[in-house]
Amino acid sequence: MAGVELKNLSKSYGDVEVLHDINLSIADGEFVVFVGPSGCGKSTLLRMIAGLEEVTGGDLLIGEKRANDLSPRQRDIAMVFQSYALYPQMTVAENMGFSLSLEKRSKKEIAEKVQEAADALKLGPFLNRKPGQLSGGQRQRVAIGRAIVRNPQVFLLDEPLSNLDAALRSETRVEISELHQRMGVTMIYVTHDQVEAMTMADRIVVLNGGYIEQVGSPMDLYNHPATEFVAGFIGSPKMNFIKGRYAVAAGTTTLGVRPEHLTIGEGDDTWEGKVTLVERLGHDTILYVRVPDAGILTVSLNGQHNQNVGDTVRLRPNPDFIHRFDDQGKPNAADLVQGQG
Amino acid sequence: MGRWVLLFILGVIAILMVSPLVLTVFTSLKPTTELVNPPWYPPISLTFEHYVRVWTEGGFSRYFFNTLLISVVDAIVMIVIASLAAYAMVFMEFRGKLVLQVLFLIGLMIPVTAIVLPLFQIVRSFGLLNTHLGVIFADLALAVSIFVFMFSSFFMGVPKALHEAARIDGATEFQIYRRVVMPIATPAVVTTALLEFLWSWNDLLLRLLLMTKDEMRTLSVGLLNFQGTMTRDVTGLSSGTVIMAIPVVLLFLFFQRHFVRGMTAGAVK
Ligand SMILES: Nc1ncnc2c1ncn2[C@@H]1O[C@H](COP(=O)(O)OP(=O)(O)O)[C@@H](O)[C@H]1O
Ligand SMILES: [Mg+2]
Repeated sequence: MAGVELKNLSKSYGDVEVLHDINLSIADGEFVVFVGPSGCGKSTLLRMIAGLEEVTGGDLLIGEKRANDLSPRQRDIAMVFQSYALYPQMTVAENMGFSLSLEKRSKKEIAEKVQEAADALKLGPFLNRKPGQLSGGQRQRVAIGRAIVRNPQVFLLDEPLSNLDAALRSETRVEISELHQRMGVTMIYVTHDQVEAMTMADRIVVLNGGYIEQVGSPMDLYNHPATEFVAGFIGSPKMNFIKGRYAVAAGTTTLGVRPEHLTIGEGDDTWEGKVTLVERLGHDTILYVRVPDAGILTVSLNGQHNQNVGDTVRLRPNPDFIHRFDDQGKPNAADLVQGQG
Repeated sequence: MGRWVLLFILGVIAILMVSPLVLTVFTSLKPTTELVNPPWYPPISLTFEHYVRVWTEGGFSRYFFNTLLISVVDAIVMIVIASLAAYAMVFMEFRGKLVLQVLFLIGLMIPVTAIVLPLFQIVRSFGLLNTHLGVIFADLALAVSIFVFMFSSFFMGVPKALHEAARIDGATEFQIYRRVVMPIATPAVVTTALLEFLWSWNDLLLRLLLMTKDEMRTLSVGLLNFQGTMTRDVTGLSSGTVIMAIPVVLLFLFFQRHFVRGMTAGAVK
């Protein structure tokens, strides 16, 4: 096992730089998630670590060793692809044992390791099938199994769940987390889904436009977003951003309030608005409220409530959880000193 | 009503296409005495004497072996060369790739007949006139562009992630070629084998040009023997033609389904 270190790493395609000055230190055994909107450079960064994309600037260290110029096979990594990329002509067992057979391990050893991984992933009954005869979820497991069998130093996953349906996705999410705990291997996981990031990561790296916006634990990012972008990206439903007179009253350019930090209340410190849409989820009720001079705000209320479309409500932001951003999208300096949440 | 018209037209076309073959087979099986009958008369008493004559005295056993040797070697070597080249073009980055691509493209565009003379000189300068090796080299060189393109377009349909997964699994480029890419390239391999075999089997120009010695000849050249300046050995020509056609017909019958599938692939799926 090994940690991974990125020092002033950058990537250019021709004249276009798509990743800029990336600095990151991933500890041995850590589960790190790269998250960000589509096109922000997550896959490119992961593929540079894998050795599938050339490093065009800075240094990449795997287990303290400079890996910039090592081929993928010299890096001792395994990767799970979004498309699974299983070898179609090979059986499940052959797919999983391929890397070992390239290392000229004995048939017996290969069979044992494949069996072990197959048992862990409940793939036993399918070992002699071809990938074409498996469901999406089973293929996904084979792809993971193929990576496990190698017992790599670093385990890379690029949006491994995005081709699964919702139920299977949350199930597999849990399994990957368990796998990480069991193997204790360094895992780097790429996703555009902040829920996956929040639920699985030891540490989240938020990328945007080829820059690292923030690195931190899920709760760090939730409580202390370093930028307006992170504040809006992490958390669901999304944080409300309010400009105009309410922001000015709070002494800032943009006011950020999470939907779960708005409550229905009375009094001078409340904002009046009209309900435009209600989503009843049972455990939560989501109101969309048009507040004059603030726009449509999302409100997430715990439990079941009987507001209806057209009702006038008064919203009270929880003063302990207000985020204030300046015109650069950075938190106000005063707030940083105070700390919040 | 339209259906019958269509059937009629198709029937006429089929008769037009099949009749030369049928007439050739008829002639090849007729005793010489029956040659006075019109060609569309079926043979009354069947005889294989012309086949035996052509095969032994006519030297067709030798020609057959020569043709088979050249065609099989052509097909096998072409599969190896074209797939390796296409693999490099599709999956690997290297300097001079663009130049190579342009060269292959030029190779596609130049007709054989236009370069017959320089080709002859090149083969002669290598001392390979009147050798099977010379013909094989010439065959391969002339057709390699086409098959590189065929393999390339097939390989471009192979997901890039498959190649990457294999690299991560620790495979070298050659291991990826042999164990990941080629096993799924069967359609391209079969098509190459068949086409190159057929072209090689049927080619006359290069064989005539590059091999003058009788013992090196192929079937296509051998057939010319029957056409003297004054005489024409019709039965010999017919049975020789049939001998040459049989392997081709067998191949088509054997791979018929593959051919039809190859031609309709991608249309409905
Ligand atoms: N081979 C390439 N050539 C040029 N630009 C590329 C290439 N691959 C990716 N990019 C660009 O790099 C950026 C990051 O891409 P990617 O890492 O795939 O984003 P993500 O995985 O976060 O969606 C995108 O703007 C994309 O257009
Ligand atoms: Mg991506």
